[in-house]
Amino acid sequence: MKTAMYAVIKKDFRGVAGNRRLFSTLFIVPLVLTIAMPSVFIITMHFVPDGLNVNVEKLLSLLPETARMESLELTVSGMVFNYILPVFFLVIPIMTASIMAASAFVGEKERHTLETLLYCPLTLRQIFQAKVWASFLLSMLVSLISFTAMLLVIETELFFLSGRLLIPSVSWLVVMLLLSPAISLIAVTLIVRESAKAQSVEESQQAAVFLVLPIILLAAGQFTGVLLMSVWILLGLGIVCAILAWIFLQKSMGRFTYERLLQ
Amino acid sequence: MEAVSIQNLSKTYPGGKEALKRLSLSLSEGEVFGFLGPNGAGKTTTVKLLTGVLAPSGGRCDIMGVDPNVQPEKAHLLSGIVTEHAQMYDHLTGMENLIFYAAAFGLGQKEGKERSESLLRELELTEAKDRKLAAYSTGMRQRLSLARALLHRPKVLFLDEPTSGLDPESAQNVNQMIHNMARKEGIAVFLCTHQLRYAQEICTRYGLIEQGALLASGTIEELRDRIFPSKSLRICASAVPERLNFSKCGANEFETKIRVKKEIPGLVRKIVEAGEDIYSVTLMEPSLEDIYFALTAGRKGDQTI
Repeated sequence: MKTAMYAVIKKDFRGVAGNRRLFSTLFIVPLVLTIAMPSVFIITMHFVPDGLNVNVEKLLSLLPETARMESLELTVSGMVFNYILPVFFLVIPIMTASIMAASAFVGEKERHTLETLLYCPLTLRQIFQAKVWASFLLSMLVSLISFTAMLLVIETELFFLSGRLLIPSVSWLVVMLLLSPAISLIAVTLIVRESAKAQSVEESQQAAVFLVLPIILLAAGQFTGVLLMSVWILLGLGIVCAILAWIFLQKSMGRFTYERLLQ
Repeated sequence: MEAVSIQNLSKTYPGGKEALKRLSLSLSEGEVFGFLGPNGAGKTTTVKLLTGVLAPSGGRCDIMGVDPNVQPEKAHLLSGIVTEHAQMYDHLTGMENLIFYAAAFGLGQKEGKERSESLLRELELTEAKDRKLAAYSTGMRQRLSLARALLHRPKVLFLDEPTSGLDPESAQNVNQMIHNMARKEGIAVFLCTHQLRYAQEICTRYGLIEQGALLASGTIEELRDRIFPSKSLRICASAVPERLNFSKCGANEFETKIRVKKEIPGLVRKIVEAGEDIYSVTLMEPSLEDIYFALTAGRKGDQTI
């Protein structure tokens, strides 16, 4: 039944791509987080008068030797790029997932297409998994596009402003290959599950927004230095999230029945 | 093997509403079974139980030996379902919708496209195939739903009010198509409707349901014999001998009650032997509507008593 699941995934993808409003919403948060926000940092650091940098220099002298670079501007840009942005970046898969996954079941219910979908020769688990994969793949695609766009914009800005390029740290590798997919899968699974219980897309989306809260706390911790995410913490977190995602994916649809879905 | 078999099937909803009460019936291949009853009688509940989207409170049912409650996905592969609540995607064209469902039913890309095109042609939707579904009329949607249900060549077709919203010409085409499918391809059709005249045109057997209980089932002849043991015979003649017990119901029109058709030649012979001229002989057979109303009136009478 892989063909059938693939058909559902493709159909859901087309549903988002064909809906301009949804499609533009999908790119607003990533654009702000990966292009607008880092650009503001980099440009501000470049144009801020030298005298005002004294306090910042004192602050940066507390940093380990390895984190310091040849100029204040590059050091701050490096800190933002390699420490702050990876955590902020995790908001993207959750936000993307919430947009598509929130309407996974309840959207079909509202359009009266759920019953038709349930009449296809797929088990509930297969339909659920197809819905999860569709949202997951979309969220990964948006993450990848956002990362590429961010890298291009930041490197171009830095090259023109300070004549240097920044090398992404290993944290980015962990975020892109492990943490982001795992968090995305957790978010998608929980949201699709919630969507199966909700009575309207709005209700489902409201529930999905709460998933961003832990990431905002992590970001706050990163900014204030309460919890500075080293690559090891990110790796550990990634492994825990990947295990959780697998458990959620296996267990989530256990108690659902056709009757409950159509209520 | 029976295409559909139902034994003592019951459904009580969580709120306590008893929607179906110990229903038992069966359908053979190639049969068009009309499941008739007013809105809220339990027709849609029966279809939902037979397609596995509702779990029965009691009894059992199967589609070609597959219990839809245990293996719904296998039952779906054997059945095509058209109901009012099973809509398709407005943002896709008619053709795209069919191609999606063809893939969902496991048809290959080429086969799915060819099957979709052939069904669209048969249901006179070829011209509208590249239009978004949002621009389809109710009748066109209904025909496309029928095409969707037939994509995977089901063995059993469940139709819940398939011609509601269709203009008379389209309704006639759909009827013809259903009739041909049952006769040529041996598909068993379970047709739910409250349009009794429509049902009488295409069904080979009937089940009449009210308030979740089956009132009667059988062919129209069986139902007539059961509900109306005597039939009206109307003869248009110059006159009828008084000893034959005909009542006059118009100028040269006479009516009497007979039990079997075999009585007709004898009566005609006696009128002719009496030297009268016969212009026409009509056996007034009760329609499905008459049978249905007689049954429901009888039931109401029972309840009053």
